[in-house]
Amino acid sequence: MTAQIWVFLGYFAVVFGIGWYSLRATRNETDYWIAGGELGWFTGGATMAATHTSAGTFVGTIGVMYTVGWSFGWVLLSIPLAYWFMVAVLAPRFTRQKELTIPAFIETRYYGKGIRGLAGAIILIATVVYIQAQIVAGGLIANTVFGIPTTWGMVGFTAILLAYTVVGGMVAVVYTDAFQLVVMGLGAVFAVPLALRQVDGLGGLLTLVESAHPLVFTWETMPATLLFTMGLSFFLGGIATPEKLIRLYAMKDMRTIRRGVLFSIIMILGINLLVFILALSAIVLFPSLSTGDLAMPMVATAVLPATLGSIMLAAITAAMMSTVDSLLIVAGSALSVDIYQNLVDPEASPRRRMWVDRLGIVVVGSTPVVLLLSGVGEGDLVQFIVLLFTALMAAAFVLPVVGGVFWPRATKEGAASAMVGGVTATFAWEAWGATTVEPVLCGFLVSAALFVGVSLLTPPPPASALAPYFESSTSRDSV
Amino acid sequence: MNGPGFTFWGLFLACGLLLVGYVTWMIRAERDE
Repeated sequence: MTAQIWVFLGYFAVVFGIGWYSLRATRNETDYWIAGGELGWFTGGATMAATHTSAGTFVGTIGVMYTVGWSFGWVLLSIPLAYWFMVAVLAPRFTRQKELTIPAFIETRYYGKGIRGLAGAIILIATVVYIQAQIVAGGLIANTVFGIPTTWGMVGFTAILLAYTVVGGMVAVVYTDAFQLVVMGLGAVFAVPLALRQVDGLGGLLTLVESAHPLVFTWETMPATLLFTMGLSFFLGGIATPEKLIRLYAMKDMRTIRRGVLFSIIMILGINLLVFILALSAIVLFPSLSTGDLAMPMVATAVLPATLGSIMLAAITAAMMSTVDSLLIVAGSALSVDIYQNLVDPEASPRRRMWVDRLGIVVVGSTPVVLLLSGVGEGDLVQFIVLLFTALMAAAFVLPVVGGVFWPRATKEGAASAMVGGVTATFAWEAWGATTVEPVLCGFLVSAALFVGVSLLTPPPPASALAPYFESSTSRDSV
Repeated sequence: MNGPGFTFWGLFLACGLLLVGYVTWMIRAERDE
């Protein structure tokens, strides 16, 4: 127990240290929201991988694999494919003009403040719910490590996250993310050999896991449609979630982006494959858990020696915190830049803007824990919410972003209806659609139909909106 | 039971192929710049 507390205190101390150091590196809004747009491949790639790897990876993914078997692992391939598409196809045009936020891109390309506010509102609401799910996971970890009530754990994590994110903005986020990625890597790298030693190595594990769960290596445990549409959800979400897109603006140039994303792909594949092996070990070592979500905490507390177990728990915490801090940046900028400064107070001085920026993060960061304390959104929903958030972002933003830089005929009205229609259709499928098909398919198709249909029915966009993204903006508007 | 087949090893193979593909593409992109 003492070892656990020391590991955690040391870990928090490093995070705080980095956070406060970043205050000095944050001189203006560009530093605060996109780290000056000057990140190198290591920090850029590390923050992408750390942001992608959430409590969902260490608790949710392992839980699903514990329950349904290995075939779920194939969904992983959608992530590198999405990143590859993002770098090779989207980024060269998307980064021609750097913005501070994704809704700011929407305003530039779709020539309207209203549509920027709409994009900000969608991001704000979806992100607050996502943060909430991660904070719940944080509360459970605090309960395991420190023995304090989960509510106090949630409040404590929120306070720690706010402390460094509010102070140092994106600079603090990327440097703490790099450190947290190291913690996650260490956790996974140390845990796997120890877990394998208990089951006679990899060969022993594969034999034992098949006798405990005969269908584990077949395709029969999960409907093919669900597997495919889940992959589609992660692919589309990987392209268009704002916390990923904003990192394209934060990195220095295209060469840096290509290398950073390679680093990120290597880390994501490595960490996930190690976590998958841990899930197999859990099937053998703890064959009758009531829920798959307990598999990872069981490995951390019952398989690993105390110090390594606490590094593993720190890894889960790092996964959670490095995702939430990035979401705080995205939601905070949506509130203070895209909604408040854009629609309410456009004349604010730079000094006042910096204060509003920080206040925005405090507001979006405290909302989830206030909602949880008042009993809204409790429950064990981590992986479910991660999937729904990804689906919503995919349905709302893939077409307006990708279509925006490739199809000059795309209009403001087309993009706005794609966002609203995509979000509505995703929710509708979630509520009433077939459970063997992920809601993203319905949301994406509705979004695509509205994007193309409404764009063609409305007047073409002005040349000024196309200039940043198309070479000869005026002659190509009839594609 | 005859051991895990393509479902298991294939995922590692696919990850490896993806990485090789990405690196090849990246080297070509940098050369063309």
